[in-house]
Amino acid sequence: MTATSAAPATASLAERLATVWDAFDRRLEEVPILRRLAEGTVTIEDYRRLLFNLRQQVVDGSPWISRAAASFDIDHFALRTAAISHAQEEHRDYLMIERDYVAVGGTLEELRAGRKNIGSEALSGYMFHAASQPNPVGLLGAMFIIEGLGAQRAAGWARRFQEVLGLADNQVHFMVYHQEADSEHTGNLEAILTSGMIDDEAADQIVRCAEVVARLYVLQLEELDS
Amino acid sequence: MTATAYLTGFGRYLPGDPVDNDGIVSRLGGDDRVTDRIRRMVLEENGIRQRHYALDERGEPTELNEELAVKALRAALDDRGIDARDLRMLACATTMGDALVPGFGSMVHGRLGGGPMQVLTAQGVCASSLAALDAAAAKIRLGDHPVAAVVGSELPSRSLRQRRFDGVNARMDSHFLRWMLSDGAGAAIVEFQPHPTKASLRIDWVRHVSLAHDHEVCMRSGMDGLEAVVGATWQDVDIADAQAAGMFVLRQDIGVLDQLAEAGISQFEELVDTGLIDMRRLDHVVCHYSTNRFRDLAFEGIRRRIPTLDTDRWFSNLETRGNTGTASIFIALEEAWHDGRFRPGETVLLAVPESARFSFAFAHLTVVAPPGAPAAAPTRGVAASAVTASADTPSTAPHEQGA
Repeated sequence: MTATSAAPATASLAERLATVWDAFDRRLEEVPILRRLAEGTVTIEDYRRLLFNLRQQVVDGSPWISRAAASFDIDHFALRTAAISHAQEEHRDYLMIERDYVAVGGTLEELRAGRKNIGSEALSGYMFHAASQPNPVGLLGAMFIIEGLGAQRAAGWARRFQEVLGLADNQVHFMVYHQEADSEHTGNLEAILTSGMIDDEAADQIVRCAEVVARLYVLQLEELDS
Repeated sequence: MTATAYLTGFGRYLPGDPVDNDGIVSRLGGDDRVTDRIRRMVLEENGIRQRHYALDERGEPTELNEELAVKALRAALDDRGIDARDLRMLACATTMGDALVPGFGSMVHGRLGGGPMQVLTAQGVCASSLAALDAAAAKIRLGDHPVAAVVGSELPSRSLRQRRFDGVNARMDSHFLRWMLSDGAGAAIVEFQPHPTKASLRIDWVRHVSLAHDHEVCMRSGMDGLEAVVGATWQDVDIADAQAAGMFVLRQDIGVLDQLAEAGISQFEELVDTGLIDMRRLDHVVCHYSTNRFRDLAFEGIRRRIPTLDTDRWFSNLETRGNTGTASIFIALEEAWHDGRFRPGETVLLAVPESARFSFAFAHLTVVAPPGAPAAAPTRGVAASAVTASADTPSTAPHEQGA
């Protein structure tokens, strides 16, 4: 993903992130399961697989954010605060996936016995690595991608799965919930990114992290069950 | 948004060999001259030619009601190609379980096995079958469960035997049922997705209404007379006294059955008037009735609305499977389905009147082709089909349509 390096050096952080997002969005359109979703040929088995694969990585969401919180020193108190509350908000999210999965015919036993796919391994490994660095400001770029996905795409996917497969609201809680929850989170993120506490070096880290996470997230969706 | 509920598997269990009219006496007794005359009269009126009893040739019970239910459920699960472990809900309908406690559904689940599941017992008479179906379909639509099973099961024969009638004042109010009811179970699988490779029946709606506010008790057991009286039910008096008073005999006030037929036709007309049933698009009716005489009343009633009514599109297996109470609608649906009477795109109305205290249940279904199959041809409807029925009677082979 080279889009940001081509951006002018004077581009604002917001503009650079927007470029990363556009490239991410284009890649998402090529992901097989999302293409089938758009075409209307997705199956109930596809939806179950997607939930199954997401769940294995989502259980790690709150732990890496907590790890990041612990890596912020007192000079980054505002970011530590944000990370702590964010971790708290996310740490029960995987339970929603589990309920949805059971509601479409899966079992908790098989879901909980599952392992991360290759993309999820890479994504999760990278997040824990990044969160373990001192003052991991770059992770705001990871948030930008993951929360942006929740806020801007998840509910659309949920609606489309409902349309194509005739699912009840009770079977798409996880994706629908993320539209509301992640919109709030992206609002918080906006506030931090425009607060003046992000210097040029931090901005570079944020953009780079967003690029990596965008690619690995797509990999996770491409590598279902791998 | 809610999901859609589909019927994806069908099963039935009828115990033992079919018993013809001459084989009834050896099982139920009642071979005195008067009883014999009454039996012949009742059989002539109800039109039943054969039925099944969970009784051996000497009238001794061979199975429990819960066993009939489980065998029908296993047949439905096999038909769908799934296991009891896949079920998340079990809705059971019966008039009387084998025991007073626990609930029939719990006993059926215990015998069926599988995993943890929601269990419902719809206790009533004939229409409790569709009450159970309604509950299962509602939970599927809500997305609370992906797979449910519904079963209607009855084993009245053991209480129709002579020993129950000895020394009891049994009039036509008990003879009518005694020579009409028999044993069996019918089951269906309900899911939020259609069958992946075969046709399914989409549940468009289920309606169940009681008119008990406006009607006396018609069918009863366990009380003396038409009214339940404090201190005088079978649970209050000595068991021997209850037996002597004939409280354990199932009785029906046959004088009001014509009213029941009229009320059922009114309920049907209301569904037509409110647009839930579109007669131009109604292809099949599977109707429960206790005797052929009420079928004829129903035909007459419907013909008032639809003079071109094609009675060939009505299905009942009363004459060959007997009146199995709450099991009957599922036993009839199973037979109609596996005989290939229905084709993709066609609609099916299930209709179940219940005399006990005037309840009526209806369900509207649409045959859907397996996912990926070509779209269905437009339907003709019961009324319109009268003109072309002879040339175009459904003849789809079972293997082509979910057998």
